[in-house]
Amino acid sequence: MSQPVVELEDLHVTLGRREILHGVSCRLGVSGRGRAIGLLGPNGAGKSTLIRTLLGFHEPCGGRARVLGFDCRTERRRVLERIGYMPETDSFIASMTGVEFLRVMGALSGLPDEIALEKAHETLFHVGLGEARYRTLGTYSLGMRQMARLAQAIVHGPELVILDEPTNGLDPSARRRMLELIRQMKEEHGMSVIVCSHLLADVEQVCDEVMILKDGRMVHHADLEAERRANRRFVELEVEGDDGALGAALESHGAACVHESPGRWRVVLPPDFDAGQLWKLAASQGLSVRRLTQRRDTLEEIFMKAMGLMRQTPGEAVASEEAAAHGGL
Amino acid sequence: MAVYKRGYQRYEGPRTSHMARLLVMPREAWRRVSGQRIVTALIAVSCIWPLLCALFIYVSNHTELWAGMGGDFRKLLAIDASFFLTFMKVQSVISVLLAALAGPGLIAPDLGNQGLGLYFSRPISRLEYALAKMAALVWLLSLVTWVPGLALFLMQVSMAPAGWAAEHWTVGAAVVFGFWQWVALVALVGLASSAWVRWRLIAGAAVLGYFFVLSGIGVLVNAIFRVEWGDLINPLRASYGLWCVLAGAELPRGLSLPTALLALALMGSLLALALERRLRPVEVVR
Repeated sequence: MSQPVVELEDLHVTLGRREILHGVSCRLGVSGRGRAIGLLGPNGAGKSTLIRTLLGFHEPCGGRARVLGFDCRTERRRVLERIGYMPETDSFIASMTGVEFLRVMGALSGLPDEIALEKAHETLFHVGLGEARYRTLGTYSLGMRQMARLAQAIVHGPELVILDEPTNGLDPSARRRMLELIRQMKEEHGMSVIVCSHLLADVEQVCDEVMILKDGRMVHHADLEAERRANRRFVELEVEGDDGALGAALESHGAACVHESPGRWRVVLPPDFDAGQLWKLAASQGLSVRRLTQRRDTLEEIFMKAMGLMRQTPGEAVASEEAAAHGGL
Repeated sequence: MAVYKRGYQRYEGPRTSHMARLLVMPREAWRRVSGQRIVTALIAVSCIWPLLCALFIYVSNHTELWAGMGGDFRKLLAIDASFFLTFMKVQSVISVLLAALAGPGLIAPDLGNQGLGLYFSRPISRLEYALAKMAALVWLLSLVTWVPGLALFLMQVSMAPAGWAAEHWTVGAAVVFGFWQWVALVALVGLASSAWVRWRLIAGAAVLGYFFVLSGIGVLVNAIFRVEWGDLINPLRASYGLWCVLAGAELPRGLSLPTALLALALMGSLLALALERRLRPVEVVR
């Protein structure tokens, strides 16, 4: 059986007297496959606590967390030897030059001295800081420091890279560059990547898998590709007029629907039902169609549904379970 | 091929041992410390007193140089426990000055921009981090304390008449072990001030204050309240008391060995606790 990158078993973490993670269980990623896992959730959901627990900064008060097969509590050193971590907050040593900083960080992660120096240069060029590598980090701009933090996380070639809010505060071009680097990490260098972010568009672009946390509990975990496949196509329908009887009319034609707000419907059509017939159906109800779009859920909608801020598309719960069963999660 | 043309390649070769990784930090810290000109200057200045002592030992052991002098003069030139205790007193003051200059630059730069998380996300524990940083300071302080002290003792042993070494071996032990205790205390104070005070100047002043102001307060407490527990906050007196016991000399008036040991143990524990509170990868708001 393939080794998961992260395996959580009924993980409980308490900070002070407050329990932050309430029995989270899941298996994320597959070791050595070069997949990116998105860690999503609103503020205070426990994302950072989970990451810090994986890094051994917080000790679980119950359950177990394993990274690349090693227990975070009892085999901390082995775990950290295989991880690269880019923290969310500005973390650097202002008096060091870019090269010194990466050389020291590489050497601390087990690179022999000459190789640490070579890799420091190589990695700084890779993240676009080649020309600034002899400047002290204190003189770097916010975007450059962000790239330097990414560089220190990958200088030693870790199996797993944990990125906490990697695109925070970056301008659009730097953001694109960061996302491209993350894509390269997994596709060209075979690293597993965990991306913790609030920016769903970023996660959607680079991640293959997402885990959504809410109030310290996992509320959704999905293989994004399988989710997209299983996510039934639906029609977003916006009508004008009294739509009180539209639901019943749609259901009489075998369609399943959700009334989102006055005049707005989400409809899953049966396979033999032509979307064009909706126009006729609406006309027969005395409604004029303002908008009719056929599409699948975006990650944002998946997230909103997991948060309970949006109603499920009819039949989705079953489809999602099937996706989970077939996605090897 | 040039690095910029080659592009990033993930390193998959052999890794260094854990001990080799730990040595990276003291090496780096030592590079930072030794890069300060004022530290180099103070190390040079700190050699003056040991050189004068060496000269004194030389003169003292060449009787032909002071033949004809009186008995009192002979007594003055005698090399014994009090000579080495005086040497230790002077060098210990210099070591505090050195720690005040070099100590603040050890941890504060890592804490200043939340760099500790970067260290602790690597296979290094908090204790290892503290010991590695301390090692740089211990090495620096050793250069002005027990190393010259031991050299002087060996010089005296080689020059003195047979039997001196057997009679005064406790002095050698006092120089080495007494200075080790002192270096450990000064290094702890240097690290703690670096961990708690961000500004270098104030951190340096805190180191000086710990040794000199606190000692002054201890003496004042004893004098005003006619008590002895003021010694508990007097690092200079407590350490000196321990050195005296190790060297077989008489303890200063009013100080007992248990008080000195208790004071040193208390100070060490409090400083270690202060470091422990500060050296954390993330600040948890409870």
